[in-house]
Amino acid sequence: MKIPNSKSQAPNPNRGVPKPSLRNSVLLGFGIWVLGFGICFSTLLAQAPPAPPAATPPSGPAIDISGYWTPTMNEDGMERGPGSELADYGGFALNEAGRLWALSYDPSRVTLRNHQCDAYVTPYQMRATGNFRAWEERDPHTQRLVAIHWWAQVTEGHRVIWMDGRPHPPAWAPHTFRGFSTGRFVGTSLVVYTTHLKQGWLRRNGTPESDQATVTEFFVRHGDHLTNTTVVTDPVFLTEPQLRSNDYYRAPVDHGTWLYACDDSEQIVGRAPEVVPFYPFGKQPFAREYSEKYKIPLASTLSGAASMYPGFADTLKNMPDTAAAALLQPAPGRPSETSKAVDPEPRDGEIHVLPIRNNVYMLVGDGGNIVVQTGDQGAFVVDTGQGRLSDKVIAAIDKLSEKPIQFIANTSFHAEHTGGNARLSAAGMDPSLPGSFFVNSAPRGVTGFFSDPLRHATMLAHNNVLTRMQEANAPTEAQPADTYLEEHRRKFHNGDSIEMFYEPNAVTDGDSLVVFRRADVIVAGDIFTTTQYPFIDAKNGGSVNGEIKALNDILNRTNYEHEGEGGTYVVPGHGFLADEHEVTEYRDMVVIVRDRVKAMIDAAATLAQVKAARLTADYDTRYGSNTGPWTTEMFVEAVYNSLKAAPTNRGGR
Amino acid sequence: MKVRHFGAAFLTAVVTASLVTLSAQGRGGAAPAAPPPSPRAAALIDLTGYWVSLVTEDWRYRQFTPPKGDYTSVPLNPNGRKVADAWDPAKDEAAGDQCKAYGAAGVMRIPGRLHVTWQDDNTLKLETDAGTQTRTLRFGQPQGTADTWQGVSTTSWDQPRAIFASPIPNRGGPALTGGSLKVVTTNMKPGYLRKNGVPYSANAVMTEYFDRLDVPGGESLIVVTAEIVDPEYLTTPYWTSTHYRREAGATGWHPTPCAAR
Repeated sequence: MKIPNSKSQAPNPNRGVPKPSLRNSVLLGFGIWVLGFGICFSTLLAQAPPAPPAATPPSGPAIDISGYWTPTMNEDGMERGPGSELADYGGFALNEAGRLWALSYDPSRVTLRNHQCDAYVTPYQMRATGNFRAWEERDPHTQRLVAIHWWAQVTEGHRVIWMDGRPHPPAWAPHTFRGFSTGRFVGTSLVVYTTHLKQGWLRRNGTPESDQATVTEFFVRHGDHLTNTTVVTDPVFLTEPQLRSNDYYRAPVDHGTWLYACDDSEQIVGRAPEVVPFYPFGKQPFAREYSEKYKIPLASTLSGAASMYPGFADTLKNMPDTAAAALLQPAPGRPSETSKAVDPEPRDGEIHVLPIRNNVYMLVGDGGNIVVQTGDQGAFVVDTGQGRLSDKVIAAIDKLSEKPIQFIANTSFHAEHTGGNARLSAAGMDPSLPGSFFVNSAPRGVTGFFSDPLRHATMLAHNNVLTRMQEANAPTEAQPADTYLEEHRRKFHNGDSIEMFYEPNAVTDGDSLVVFRRADVIVAGDIFTTTQYPFIDAKNGGSVNGEIKALNDILNRTNYEHEGEGGTYVVPGHGFLADEHEVTEYRDMVVIVRDRVKAMIDAAATLAQVKAARLTADYDTRYGSNTGPWTTEMFVEAVYNSLKAAPTNRGGR
Repeated sequence: MKVRHFGAAFLTAVVTASLVTLSAQGRGGAAPAAPPPSPRAAALIDLTGYWVSLVTEDWRYRQFTPPKGDYTSVPLNPNGRKVADAWDPAKDEAAGDQCKAYGAAGVMRIPGRLHVTWQDDNTLKLETDAGTQTRTLRFGQPQGTADTWQGVSTTSWDQPRAIFASPIPNRGGPALTGGSLKVVTTNMKPGYLRKNGVPYSANAVMTEYFDRLDVPGGESLIVVTAEIVDPEYLTTPYWTSTHYRREAGATGWHPTPCAAR
């Protein structure tokens, strides 16, 4: 065989190079193929030893879910398309609280400004209609997989599934609609674990998912078919894990539609700010609609986990309608459930620092949450905790701030917010006062704590905080000396505008919100917690209506960053760092409970009757307690009493 | 013969040789070729045991027989709707066709329990207590009898696999473990996707993937992802994913006859 000199060969047939005959090409190709096959075959016979394994095999995906995905709607098409039907909770393992929460839910609630742009939580997001897209994020230098991103068009849900082994955030970290997800490959599936979810829906008819839910997901791919199986564990609203799966088919090209613009606005002009649409227990007007429409027993959609199993229909055949109707309201005579939520307090004897934004931090570990703002002036501290770990609090602040504590603001007089006042104050100084007219002209002793400002920080609070602490014989060095009497106190400090707003008769008669305007952080004190029903201290001027007004005042100062979350951070008196979504859900809860109690008062019910009615049954698994300093019964009693009698107001406005 | 043709052909041969050579290196060892392990020995996942269905999707359609003409979510074409609208369970009963909803394309959606066993080293037996049906899943050649409720199935273990092995040694990523059971079923006697007469035809082809999912610290699940292609009655493939949770034993296993209503 003669091999022509390739250099002499023109590369382009258009230059007149004669084409080889088909016969010659076939013969040559066959010959070369035989040659190659011979090499291969001899190699196989030789059985060369295997190459040594790479020292560190590259970590890579067992499956690749990158690409564009379109959901199929062959299951639950009604729910996922036009919308689920009211009071259809069949197949959900709802406990009593979950069932009552759902029955109480009025879809008009989404007309409230703070609910209009609520995004979907992950378990529902994965079932939503719209387009989906997944892509990998790899370390540019090592090409190791860092994260898998998942974008959902509806509510613009951007999930990040961390694949680099990082831990989940602590219990006091913020929650989001998508939660915090980590993943790993197991066999041929991607297994994802998600925590730190916000409260949301499992179904769009009010079937709830709490902010305590966790989700295990499995992504399995078969060719162009992707199946996502979600297992939701929710101790607040479910009796057992809720399993569902979502199917997607791969789209070959970009869908081109990825956004979901949302801005809130007035939906019902002139509505009072404290109105929250809900249905009273037992009075859900549509509760029977679904069962009557489809001629299935009323109890079928209200039976929780039992409705998921084979033979369920047979179990309902002999159930009387009265038994089914009883499921529409709290079971009488049962003790209150207690919170199934994770305790966000670390309780490890340490102070934990959570950066919030800019130069503002949340310190967790000593009872009530503490906030610290740092800068070129002294540290500005809001609340001082219980005082058991003050030395560690001071040490933590010293690490954050080059300057000593200059100001301390108290949101209330309660011991979990003022317990460290004396120690923290003594560790600080207020260099803005020496030499000032204020100090120099005041006779010694008259200005009290101002008399030696280089030996302590200046403490600020509403004047009723001082009064209550004096009444309680609190040490003088723990009492705030710089108090205000009316609506507002303000300072420009460390480059931020800091404002204190008086909230009369909320938890007490001396509560303040502290707002860092530039950092966009609101410190709520015990007006808002993520751990319990509001501690309405009626003896010290608290009232449920003042509490609702205070919560709405917070919401009047918040803004969300995207689809109902982020933006303004709200530091609760106790619990995890929140945003307006948590405050909104909390406000809704207080309003709903208030309205239920009020309805019974209007019907001449006694306190004993109100307590027996279990009016908090849908919230008890989230906030309830039967022991400790603030029980469910005490909360209901405080609501009842504060509605029956005008609150004690020491003034301030 | 021109150089460019020779070059292309030579390159093809060398690449082919390299691929096979490198592939051989990856296998290693000098032992004589052993017979392939049986499907039971080569099982990628363990599906045996008792499993209970968890009816959390299409709940009303599955826990209760929906009314005639209620075929929401099923992509029926006009012919399919016509058949569904003519559903007459009394007629099915009279014809001895009470099991029309218990054929391979319908039975997995009926609430019930599965009992999965190895009938022999090559055959998985999948029994349902609802309707007392048995699906015989024999690996290799298609197995079953045409024009029966359970049809003819082709069964295999399935893993994501590239068409060609990577030409670079040890750069294909870590070796895969696990996988799926793949079952392709044809030649089914016409039956119902839902008990209210939503039809599939004798021409329907159903491809199922059985995946076992073990929740960390929790339960073991089977998810059966099914695609049904039926040009006679469906406009598009019909996809469902059906869940089962592992049970400790036979408690709850209650075989019942087919019911047309």
